[in-house]
Amino acid sequence: MENVLEVKDLKISFKTFFGEVEAVRGISFKVGKEETIAIVGESGCGKSVTASGIMQLLPMPPAFFKGGEIIFNGENLLNKKEKEMQAIRGNKISMVFQDPMTSLNPTMKIGKQIVEGLVKHHKMSAEDAHKKAIEMLELVAVPQPGKRINQYPHEFSGGMRQRVMIALAMVCNPQLLIADEPTTALDVTVQAQILELMKKLQEQLEMSIILITHDLGIVADMSDRVIVMYAGQIVETGLTEEIFASPKHPYTRKLLASVPRLDMNKDEPLYSIDGTPPDLYIPPKGCSFYDRCTEAMKICKDHVPDLNEHNDTHLSRCWLNHPMAQKVYSMDGGEK
Amino acid sequence: MTEPLISARNIKKYFDVGGGQLKAVDGISFDIYPKETFGLVGESGCGKSTAGRTIVRLYEPTGGELIFNGKNIYKLSRKEMQVVRRDFQIVFQDPYASLNPRMTVEDIVAEPLDIHQMYKTREERSERVIELLRLVGLGDEHVLRFPHEFSGGQRQRIGIARALALNPKFIVCDEPISALDVSIQAQVVNLLKDLQDRLGLTYMFIAHDLSMVRYISDRVGVMYLGHMMELAKSEELYANPLHPYTKALLSAIPIPDPGIQRNRRRIMLEGDVPSPINPKEGCRFVDRCSYAIDRCRKETPAFVEKGTNHFAACHII
Amino acid sequence: MKAEYNLSPDLFNVASREDRNAEKIHRPSIKYWPDVWRRLKMNHLAMTGLILIIFFSIMAFVGTEINGFKYFEQNYDLINVHPNGVHWFGTDELGRDLFTRVWYGTRYSLFIGIMAALIDFLIGVLYGGIAGITTRRVDSVMMRIAEVIYSIPYLLVVILISVVFTQAGQGSSLFILIFAMTLTSWVPMAILVRGQVLQLKESEYALASESIGGTKNWILRKHIIPNTLGPILVNVTLSIPRAIFAEATLSFIGLGIQAPKSSLGALANDGLAGLPVGNAYQILIPAIFISLVMFAFNVLGDGFRDALDPRLRK
Repeated sequence: MENVLEVKDLKISFKTFFGEVEAVRGISFKVGKEETIAIVGESGCGKSVTASGIMQLLPMPPAFFKGGEIIFNGENLLNKKEKEMQAIRGNKISMVFQDPMTSLNPTMKIGKQIVEGLVKHHKMSAEDAHKKAIEMLELVAVPQPGKRINQYPHEFSGGMRQRVMIALAMVCNPQLLIADEPTTALDVTVQAQILELMKKLQEQLEMSIILITHDLGIVADMSDRVIVMYAGQIVETGLTEEIFASPKHPYTRKLLASVPRLDMNKDEPLYSIDGTPPDLYIPPKGCSFYDRCTEAMKICKDHVPDLNEHNDTHLSRCWLNHPMAQKVYSMDGGEK
Repeated sequence: MTEPLISARNIKKYFDVGGGQLKAVDGISFDIYPKETFGLVGESGCGKSTAGRTIVRLYEPTGGELIFNGKNIYKLSRKEMQVVRRDFQIVFQDPYASLNPRMTVEDIVAEPLDIHQMYKTREERSERVIELLRLVGLGDEHVLRFPHEFSGGQRQRIGIARALALNPKFIVCDEPISALDVSIQAQVVNLLKDLQDRLGLTYMFIAHDLSMVRYISDRVGVMYLGHMMELAKSEELYANPLHPYTKALLSAIPIPDPGIQRNRRRIMLEGDVPSPINPKEGCRFVDRCSYAIDRCRKETPAFVEKGTNHFAACHII
Repeated sequence: MKAEYNLSPDLFNVASREDRNAEKIHRPSIKYWPDVWRRLKMNHLAMTGLILIIFFSIMAFVGTEINGFKYFEQNYDLINVHPNGVHWFGTDELGRDLFTRVWYGTRYSLFIGIMAALIDFLIGVLYGGIAGITTRRVDSVMMRIAEVIYSIPYLLVVILISVVFTQAGQGSSLFILIFAMTLTSWVPMAILVRGQVLQLKESEYALASESIGGTKNWILRKHIIPNTLGPILVNVTLSIPRAIFAEATLSFIGLGIQAPKSSLGALANDGLAGLPVGNAYQILIPAIFISLVMFAFNVLGDGFRDALDPRLRK
């Protein structure tokens, strides 16, 4: 499968008063054609910074790219000037954000915002662009598109606004859509609608999606592959089925065990992870999960774990998977 | 048959807004029994947060009664209410906004003690603060720090410590975990459960995350646009939902298991949650309900018992 | 990439619990005001202003003693002398040393400016605080009254009061002047404070305080006022130059401070006569002093505003 996007050893840091904060510490992954990749992790793990970084939408300073490459259609995006990036944003790579309230211009009619992209990137005439905009609104199931195209964002509800956001993002037929927590601010019944819509559009437009979320249910529903991030690094990645069925990293295991499921037995305990993610102003020397890991070994403190390749698709970084770690541990840290 | 700790009868809370009246809570009734966790769920605009705040009289009610210790707390004077306040506490949703950024953790947790003038000496006050912090898993090294130095989960725990300061009987948890990360949510929920066992607390747990509510609650009520749509024991509600809204809500929640999730048959609701301003007569859910009949539009269904201890407001059940 | 080192089997034993600290906070504690000060220090312009203010304040008392001349010493042999080695700023039409007089005038300009700002602050905080915390009706009434007061032409008030008190032969013109100035100038501060109180009243920590039994008074004192101090500080700092300029204007037109006392504005007024006869220095020097003092307070106030803005935190 050809890759739409390939990220190699990406490092992004922020200059702050306290010093350098390493938000993304060397991550590598690929996105194939028509694939949906979910990036899961807690806040501060670097997933949003990665998404904004790909689009180069981070404020620079204080952010800066410390290293790595972002290869899109054979070219390294980090070598591109701002003008070149502008031709890509909204056109070849689109982004949908969490809060549609703040990502839509409140003083501009919806239609105008959609038409803007078409006129700029595809050099369409205003008339054609207007027609296309109505088509897009129909595609995302906004009722009465001909009338609503002349309305302002505040005249739409939260779910409708997100649909408009999606229409905006899709209108130039991008190859890659980056959706950063697109449904977090929405009610659960509306969320279900939006996710269905995204799936439908992906099929129609043959698009790849990077879906950033913390909701493991959405991951199970939408993604082909999963990337689990923690403290700026990828700790595990693999096919969705693999990750859920046999997680190989303690963080992934704990994460899966800390989410209540509608179909679980009520008496089953909910595991929680003690403490909070490390402060990336002093990046941990060894495994970043060391302080919170109940299965930690002495080696984990000072040595970054090797990459474990479980098969072609399933990778993780954990000393427990090293051949020398013979004992198998249970969830509470005792021996099995 | 135990006596309920609090009885809510026909609670109403209306707000006057530009376009008319916002009937956030429009006549809900329920009992909460000692040492139980009563879950209240619903989507945005359903009135659950307003209900929680009205029950502890943080908002003055527009109507209804709240019976605690044999008295209707809405009829109490300011002085009498001050005493009741010690038993009714509330934990807020936003751990970033509910703590004063210019106060130290010690002052924040001790504020209830200061207001009610509980301790004479600084040492006793300090000791009690440290005791409370330990209860929630923090320590004395955190006492002189400021809220912005803590993570969301830690801040929420500070808020819980503050709520425990006066040894309350009843705590309303108003979306306490919605603003937290997934793994931290479990931390806070486990803490709440643990505290409930240790201190014999009664909770009202308000949230929109149904999976979490099911996990922590004994009984659950489902709200929609100011009305209570269904109320039952938590297991019963999730296994055997009666109301069409409850059914749609449950089916919309994605299950973290690809095998199961991708093969589910889902009930899709059309449209968005309508506005609670100037609502019409009849069932509030009528515009989105696939089972609606004529009667649903004309007559608001009564909230009655449809099964053992299982209540619902619907004409077609 | 496999690491090229030998791993001993011991490393694969379980790490002890004590070694792992999940709740550790790494960064040193940052208190509010020290952090504001730190950010202010980074603003070179603001620091320049601060240094100027300190310099002027010290010189206002020291400067009059430096070259031995008294501010009221008249010397008819040395009238309208241009700045030279003895009289560094020259002399005025009565032979008085301008260097000494200018610093003497600075004393009063600063005093009046700071007093006026302080009074504005006190009245404004009290009035605005009450308006913000009280019921909408009382608030409306209070605001209407404030607006009416503010719309009275300020010069008119000063003239009226000056005339009334001069006729009644009442006390020090200095305090009458300050009284007249602050009669209407407290309104903007009150409006600011009221706005802040209204906004903070709705904050969740104020609500939380109410839920634990906090009275309106308690919430105002403990939660609202401490969080308004930032914007208030900015406003106070910026109202000082306004007051100084207002006094200068009044003195310039003869309504302000009366002889033998003097302020920078009065000095400028005295120096006006020197302009057409080639003694421009007599008005230029006080004018420059006024500008410098105002500049200093303005950049300091701006500096405070930037240092307090949470969005600009570096």
